[in-house]
Amino acid sequence: MTTRRLSAFLDALAAGRRPRPFQADSEDVEMLRVAIALRAARPGDAVPNESFVAQLQEQLSDDLNPSVQTNVRPLRMHRGRAALVAVAAGLALVGGTVAVTETSNRAKVQQSATAVPQRQALRTASFQSPTGQVVGQIVLYHGHPSWVYMNVDLPHSNGPVKCELHLANGEVVAAGTVQLHDGSGEFSQSIHMDAGKARGATLYDPSGAVVASAIFI
Amino acid sequence: MFLAPKPSLTRVMPSDPPITSGEPGVTRLRVVDTDSYTDWESVYRDNIERLYRLMYARVGNRADAEDLTSEVFRTALGPLKLASSKGEVRSYLLTTAQTILASHWRRTLGAPVTTIDPESAMTSLAEPSGIEEPSDAPQRATKILAALPERYRRILELRFLEACSIKEAAQAMDVSVSNAKVLQHRALRMAAKAGLEVGQ
Repeated sequence: MTTRRLSAFLDALAAGRRPRPFQADSEDVEMLRVAIALRAARPGDAVPNESFVAQLQEQLSDDLNPSVQTNVRPLRMHRGRAALVAVAAGLALVGGTVAVTETSNRAKVQQSATAVPQRQALRTASFQSPTGQVVGQIVLYHGHPSWVYMNVDLPHSNGPVKCELHLANGEVVAAGTVQLHDGSGEFSQSIHMDAGKARGATLYDPSGAVVASAIFI
Repeated sequence: MFLAPKPSLTRVMPSDPPITSGEPGVTRLRVVDTDSYTDWESVYRDNIERLYRLMYARVGNRADAEDLTSEVFRTALGPLKLASSKGEVRSYLLTTAQTILASHWRRTLGAPVTTIDPESAMTSLAEPSGIEEPSDAPQRATKILAALPERYRRILELRFLEACSIKEAAQAMDVSVSNAKVLQHRALRMAAKAGLEVGQ
C-alpha cells in the first residue's frame, strides 16, 4: 500500500495541495526529496500570500498582547510539540529572561521563571541519530549551579537512554538518564562540572548502542 | 552554534519622549543599537517572507509551508529577547525552524525528507530585506532533470514544473495513465539513485 500512498502524496505535491501523511520507507524518502526539489523550482507559491502574512501578524498580535482580548488567554500553539521547541531554542540562542521547565505531560506545559542565564553561559546542540535525523536538543548552563536540560524524541523507543558528556580533556561524564515514553522524554538536573569544557554528548540505549550524538560548537 | 554577528554600529538617539535634565537645553540621550529589532513586529516583517521561502523550498506546498512558518513564529516570539542582535534573532528563528521541520517530517512521513542547514540558511536570512532572494531551486531542478533520459525528464517536468495532473501528463506524452505513473515512479527513483544533491 505504500506505493499507492506515495502516489497520492506525489499527486498532492504536483497539484499544490497538502499531502497526506504516511509511513515512508527510505526509497520513498529519496524519491520525495527529488519531487519536492522539483516542485520548489516552480515559480508562484514560493512567495507568501499577503493575506497569510497579514492574518498571521494579527494572530501573533493577539497571542503576544493578550490584554487586548481578555485577561486570561490560553497559549495558542498548533501542537504541544511547540512547547518543547520553545524550551530548547529559547534557552539556547536567545538567552531569554526565564528558564523554562515543563512536566512530562506535554498537554499541560507549566512554565516557571528562575534565575536569568546569560547568553554566554548557555551552550546548546542538537542530537542527531546515526542516520542524521535530528532527535532532540541538549542545553548546558554554566553557573552556580550548572545544569543540563535535554529533550529526546526517538520514535518506537521506550525506556532509559543514558547521556554522557565528552569533555575537552578526553574525560567522559555521566549527565543522567532520560526515560522515554512513547518515544519521547525530557530531563534536567544540576551537574557538578564546568559546562564550558563539554565538547559533545552521546546517548546510549540500555544495550550500550549509540542512539544519537551532539557536538557543541 | 550558528554565526551570530555582533552589533557593529551604534548610534545615539533622543529617547522617546525626550527626557530633559535639570539643565535647560540639555536632552538626555540613550544608546540605540542599530543592529537589533525594536519590537516583535519588526522581527516579523523582516523575516516572515524569508522563513516562508525557506519552509516552502523544503516541503513543496503552500499549506504546509504556511503552517510551519506560523509555528516558527508562534514558538519563537514568546521567549524572544529583543535586546539580542538581528543575527542572534535570526539564528534563534533558524534553530526553531530546523526543529519544527524535523518534527513535521517525523510526524508526517516518519523520516527526515528535507532539513535546514543553519549555516547556508543563515546566509539567505541575512540578505537585506526587499531584495528578491536568489533561490537555488531552479538550478537544483535543472541538475536533476539533466541527469535523466528524455522521457523521464519530460514526465517530471510536466508533473512538477508544469503542474499537470497525471492524466494531463499522460495525454501530453501520448501514453496511458498507468504508463505515466510508471514513468514518473521510475524517473524519481532514477534521480534519487543518481545520488544528486537534492536535499536542502
